[in-house]
Amino acid sequence: MFVQDLRNDFYRQLVGKRILIVVNYDIDAICASRILQALFKYDHMLYTVVPIMGVTGLKRAYGEHQGDVKYVLLVNCGGCVDIVELLQPAEDVIFFICDSHRPLDVCNIYSDRQVCILGDPSLEESIPAFESIFYDSEGEDEDDDDGDVGSDQEQQNNDSGAGESDQEDRAPAAQRTTKMSRLERHEQRILKQRARRQWELERDRIMFEYTQFSYYGRSAALLVFELAWKLSKDNMDLLWWAIVGITEQLLLGKIESGAYTLELEQIQSHVSRLTNKTNDQNTMSASKISFENDLHLVLYRHWPVTESMRYSRYASCQLKLWTLRGEKRLHELLLEMGLPLVHARQTYGAMDLVLRKEFYSMVERLAEKYDIPDIVYGTFTLSYGYRSRYAAADYVYALLSIMESVKKHKTPEDCFLEASDALSRQHKQLLTAGIEQAKLLHAAIFRQVQSSLEARQVHSAGSFFYYVLQEEHAFFSYPYALALLARFLLRGHVATSRARQAPDLPLIASCPLDAAQGMCLLVGIAPVREDSPRTFFGKAFEQAAQKSGVALLQDFFEPAVVQLRQSDLTRFLDALTVLLT
Amino acid sequence: MSRSNKLFGDKAFDLLKELERSSQTIPAFDDDGVRQVLEEIKAIFEENVAQASTYNASGDRSLWPLLNFRHAALQRNKRCLLAYLYERCKRIKALRWEFGPIIPGDIKQSLCEPEVHFFNNYSKSLAAYMCSAGYNQGLPIDLTNNLRPPKSLYIEVRCMEDYGKFELDDGEVIHLKKNSQHYLPRAQVESLVRQGILHHIA
Repeated sequence: MFVQDLRNDFYRQLVGKRILIVVNYDIDAICASRILQALFKYDHMLYTVVPIMGVTGLKRAYGEHQGDVKYVLLVNCGGCVDIVELLQPAEDVIFFICDSHRPLDVCNIYSDRQVCILGDPSLEESIPAFESIFYDSEGEDEDDDDGDVGSDQEQQNNDSGAGESDQEDRAPAAQRTTKMSRLERHEQRILKQRARRQWELERDRIMFEYTQFSYYGRSAALLVFELAWKLSKDNMDLLWWAIVGITEQLLLGKIESGAYTLELEQIQSHVSRLTNKTNDQNTMSASKISFENDLHLVLYRHWPVTESMRYSRYASCQLKLWTLRGEKRLHELLLEMGLPLVHARQTYGAMDLVLRKEFYSMVERLAEKYDIPDIVYGTFTLSYGYRSRYAAADYVYALLSIMESVKKHKTPEDCFLEASDALSRQHKQLLTAGIEQAKLLHAAIFRQVQSSLEARQVHSAGSFFYYVLQEEHAFFSYPYALALLARFLLRGHVATSRARQAPDLPLIASCPLDAAQGMCLLVGIAPVREDSPRTFFGKAFEQAAQKSGVALLQDFFEPAVVQLRQSDLTRFLDALTVLLT
Repeated sequence: MSRSNKLFGDKAFDLLKELERSSQTIPAFDDDGVRQVLEEIKAIFEENVAQASTYNASGDRSLWPLLNFRHAALQRNKRCLLAYLYERCKRIKALRWEFGPIIPGDIKQSLCEPEVHFFNNYSKSLAAYMCSAGYNQGLPIDLTNNLRPPKSLYIEVRCMEDYGKFELDDGEVIHLKKNSQHYLPRAQVESLVRQGILHHIA
């Protein structure tokens, strides 16, 4: 069931109740949950926030709180699985789902009461009609008994001859249709069964088409922010969190650039409205969000320009900065920009003020010439106080690396909570530490890409590339970091590869997760030329696993991220090759 | 004039410094130190008494400054001792507000017998006062509940360890598990916060 009027049908329902908020491990979800927490605080509603990772985590978290809560809110998780089936909740428990993963599970969509999906059904694409996927067993008079039984059994009945099944049905059938002759009844049954089988085939086709591609819907943070706006409880902080949420979608390729631009306009109107509303003139305390065109350079406000250029995926791959020639080209670019190397090599903040002011226009002017036109994009920056100025992307990268900085003494939950803390302005030191951590991560990614490309470790399997990291890695054993690495690698490989179809091929990267258990992590990355966030990996992985008989752990809510045994990897990749050709 | 190279009053001063420096809520009662100071006082007093009698007998004015000096040292020792005891008493009082009417075991060890007695008396009179203060409502008011005036009725807390189920006054059962975050009524979770099971997020 979709809930469109969030204010009346969602928020008002909850006021005064206790609620369990289950949050997935991603930045959009963190931002959304922070906004929700702020709202619930205004209304003095008791809540409990539990971070979870994957389907098992969701089950465990619900199991622990079962019986105590009547309202469960799932943020960026659970939309794509049949919640009622998975959690077996009591009758009076109501789930609200705020999930940007698509496609949504049809059982959730057509649940009439227990599962409410926050969002607008008109924005959803091609949801199969109810009649075409659910069999109306009440309409059947005769098949009443086996209407609910799985289709397998029914087919068995069919194969073994009508006589048997006829005997089963004799008692009720005899009462009703005494007039019909045995033959007529038999004929009718067969016709009905055929129609039923056809309907099932049709249903399977529809369902396949519906679930074939996985993609992402609107950012959950933005959705929740709009709720806050409708409740007139929005402020600068909430808006900033929403912006961080949608920027994460952009940076991780979860949203098309067209859709992003459309959202930008809306956000801009929020920004100007809130800026006018707050009349805080004090520079020290006032926070200011401003829209501006910015550069797709990683953390360049906190890094030397050369480093930032080198470690940014787009610039680096277009200029091939890992090669000697690329390095020369970078120097050429800096020369033409008129940026002295002395300045380019020190932290951005320490650069000459004039250069700093002109930096953006200098890059923009030369973007065409150096074949990096897409380096410019519209985004928001947050400034407060005299020194702190952050782009939304800085926040995203910092939070990502905080979230994946799991160490011996730091559990994933600790990292999650730290990332959630880093969002608020009071914990600036956490954010600064996160930015430092992000620098390390990006430098590591670059080095890995460089060495992998030089050693030609990206192999082609005909219809896709694959890349296998052999050893457990401090950075890349986590889904997001591995995905970042894989995207960089794919771009880099395509930039150097001579093959014509290279930009159309996806990449599958794998990294050992846990040496002791022999598990490894597998991510699929969409081809470079593909702009839309649709991927078929979820379904493809599932089928390849079925065909090769490999046990696959599709525990993450990201469909393109799976776990499997290291020893099964080759078998799995072979099956995938067969499947995709 | 002193027999050792230590000055008068040093020991008493050390006693205070020690108390000031210690990071514990209350360091162990320094029996030995107090006894040494007392001995010093006694020694000074006896010397003074002896000299005072000779002064009385001889009327030698040259003894006069020495007598005064010793007397000042004696007074200072006394003041230090009193300060030491008073500071401890203050901390014991604070203890009552923080931990309630029962002294935690590890702290009890560092108190001496009269101090425990003082604590009990203090606790008793505080309880009596709280009973009388709430007389009009018929219920005693627990003054130790809100040491700082609360800003809001509810607080946001993060669970630091697995605690299990926790029932609120209105019957809501809350499962407190490590690393979960909750928004709960302040009055009911304050004791858990003080125990360190929950961490208050500002």
